Amino acid sequence: MRLEKCWFCSSTVYPGHGIQFVRNDAKIFRFCRSKCHKNFKMKRNPRKVKWTKAYRRLHGKDMTQDSTFEFERKRNRPERYDRNLAENTLKAIKKIDKVRSNREAKHIEKRMKVKKSKERREAAKELEQSIHLVKPPSVLAQDPSLTLPKIKVKVSQQQTEENHAMEE
Amino acid sequence: MVQYNFKKITVVPSGKDFIDIILSRTQRQTPTVVHKGYAISRLRQFYMRKVKYTQQNFHEKLSTIIEEFPRLDDIHPFYGDLLHVLYNKDHYKLALGQVNTARNLISKIAKDYVKLLKYGDSLYRCKSLKVAALGRMCTVIKRIGPSLAYLEQIRQHMARLPSIDPNTRTILICGYPNVGKSSFINKITRADVDVQPYAFTTKSLFVGHTDYKYLRYQVIDTPGILDRPFEDRNIIEMCSITALAHLRAAVLFFLDISGSCGYSIAQQAALFHSIKSLFMNKPLIIVCNKTDLQPLEGISEEDKKLVLEMKAEAMKTVIGQGGEPTNGDGVLLTMSTLTEEGVIAVKNAACERLLDQRVELKMKSKKINDCLNRFHVAIPKPRDQKERPPCIPQSVLEAKAKQAAQMAEKEKRKTEKDLEDENGGAGVYSANLRKNYILANDEWKDDVLPEILDGHNVYDFIDPDILQRLEELEEEEGMRQAEEENEDFKMDGEELTPEEQAALAEIRKKKSLLIREHRMKKSTAESRPTVPRKFDKDRKFTTERMGRQLSALGLDPSLAINRARGRSLSRRGRKRERSLDKGDNDAGDAMDMDVDQQNKKLRIRSRSRSRSKSRPPGEVAPGEGFKDSAQKVKALKLAKKSVKKRNKDARRGEADRVIPSLKPKHLFSGKRSIGKTQRR
Repeated sequence: MRLEKCWFCSSTVYPGHGIQFVRNDAKIFRFCRSKCHKNFKMKRNPRKVKWTKAYRRLHGKDMTQDSTFEFERKRNRPERYDRNLAENTLKAIKKIDKVRSNREAKHIEKRMKVKKSKERREAAKELEQSIHLVKPPSVLAQDPSLTLPKIKVKVSQQQTEENHAMEE
Repeated sequence: MVQYNFKKITVVPSGKDFIDIILSRTQRQTPTVVHKGYAISRLRQFYMRKVKYTQQNFHEKLSTIIEEFPRLDDIHPFYGDLLHVLYNKDHYKLALGQVNTARNLISKIAKDYVKLLKYGDSLYRCKSLKVAALGRMCTVIKRIGPSLAYLEQIRQHMARLPSIDPNTRTILICGYPNVGKSSFINKITRADVDVQPYAFTTKSLFVGHTDYKYLRYQVIDTPGILDRPFEDRNIIEMCSITALAHLRAAVLFFLDISGSCGYSIAQQAALFHSIKSLFMNKPLIIVCNKTDLQPLEGISEEDKKLVLEMKAEAMKTVIGQGGEPTNGDGVLLTMSTLTEEGVIAVKNAACERLLDQRVELKMKSKKINDCLNRFHVAIPKPRDQKERPPCIPQSVLEAKAKQAAQMAEKEKRKTEKDLEDENGGAGVYSANLRKNYILANDEWKDDVLPEILDGHNVYDFIDPDILQRLEELEEEEGMRQAEEENEDFKMDGEELTPEEQAALAEIRKKKSLLIREHRMKKSTAESRPTVPRKFDKDRKFTTERMGRQLSALGLDPSLAINRARGRSLSRRGRKRERSLDKGDNDAGDAMDMDVDQQNKKLRIRSRSRSRSKSRPPGEVAPGEGFKDSAQKVKALKLAKKSVKKRNKDARRGEADRVIPSLKPKHLFSGKRSIGKTQRR
């Protein structure tokens, strides 16, 4: 029993799922669900279909090269069974999984950060350039900070005296 | 070698059918249309053709009959005699002769009438001649009708005769009725002959085939023969006699020891002696059948004597290798077809005897000398008494011994199948396939390793040095994480303060507002009148508004407001009326001209303006965009009308009462240029 990869979207096909198509040249195409199968029949290129892993890897959205991928390789010669080795393998799988998912998350984070810094820069620029819409230059000359102008409210003298009295 | 297969004879039609066939063919295949007015030669030709054509057809068909039926003198005497026995040679020949004469007669008729036709002078005469000719031919055929029927019957019977090859190896079975001949043939061949308790169940010859030493033997079952003088015999018995007489075969004379056929051994012996002349030169075997009912030893002395007599006779026919018969056993055999004991022995003995005889004969004949050299086995004469056994090399002997030992061992060793059987059979016991695994530690034999873990195939990860690689990976991971922490500190410089963010939000709000306004203006630009600013219907350009906006920007609006008010026209007028006190900085000189012109109107208004008064609806205010009051009134009317709710009651109105045309002509008439007009 093996978990295979869907040819179109690269998700894992569990046993009992999906369809396998064998072409006349003996190449086997496995599909995880009818969505992928139908897309294949329509002759769509997975590298151009946005939601597939192939597209994401090709366009740098997901991590492509990493040493964690080296651990998982289809081996054709079976190894002689060794209990210790089996134990270690099982434990290792979990650790490798964790490392890989961390790295993938970091990759995506890095990707997202770029936009944030760009946004900040653009905001600063916009603020500088368009401050004249909210703050006329005369006011800007007096108060050079890029903030909203302070609105002067005329308050009568008597009230302020009363307030002071209240505060005390 | 002619295959004696009488199935290929064509069907002989009856007299009437014959006539019908020929005449209809004549009618179909010759021209049918003829008129009085034709040239005489043409008429003659027409009718001559018909006569000749009919004659030819008759001739053809009758010739095929004559040729296809076998001539009794030309075929093998066995078949000749058989056909004679069955159908009577004379009758047969007579019938065929009649057919022949009929043929000749018809030819003559045709010749005569053709001659007459040559001189026919009218259509009628020619026609009558033709009718006469055809009629006479038909009567000839009618006369031989019975012969044709007889020939047809013979043909049908002949087709069903068994195909016996008179020249090949044959075994003949004969004897009294009910002795077990048919059962015997059923046992050794695939023939399926009727076996019944009454006599003369088998009424004709039956053929079966059997094999012995890679050769095929015909076995012929005959009807039973009774002990009667030759002349009294009926057709059925004559069949068997014919077969006996003509076929060169091994004869099996069946004897019913038990007497259950209804005839005693004495009677059977008598029969034997009466037909023993037919056994000349044929290997004869006497077969005692039905030994299950009565063994050979148990019969009476007289019977035994009779049997031995028969055996003695049979011995005479044995052709031994030297002179005297070497084995007397091959002559008298016992068997029982019911229990099947001795059947095969009898068959083998018969085949062997026949084969020997045929080989002997062949050897003696001249033909054999041609190929004698081809089958000569040379056996070297022994020159001394030394034993020379075949030489088998030592290695072969050893290999053979080893194989034998292995076979013995295999039988001793307990196989998995034995184990399975012990523990309850196939459904109950399931073999432990891991029993013979070779592992570093035998405790691990029963370990179950999962194939799938967390969406990965475990077998893809198994690697002898996985631990080491995992360590490397962890180191790498640790280093990476350290690096990343260093990098994280860089990024935080560019954050905006909350006040700045508020300013930015405000800027963006204003921008979006401007954009929206512009878009609205753009979309309605075509239907909106371009009114100059001074006709400000919505009161957008007021000083209060300006004041508010300016103070929002943080500037002091009072100066600007005053200046704007000073410049404003309406206020100007009023100011002029009352006093010049309201601090007006502006010179206002440039405005004088306008003010004087406007003065009159404003004066009228301003005088009566103790309370503000709204304009009457029909009056056009400047800035509204209307030409005059009439237009404004119309516009108001339209506006009111458009607000009225539409009557959606779907009640019939004036427009609905008239049906303009019930049956428009263009829909109900006219042909279509292509297609059918099935529906309109």
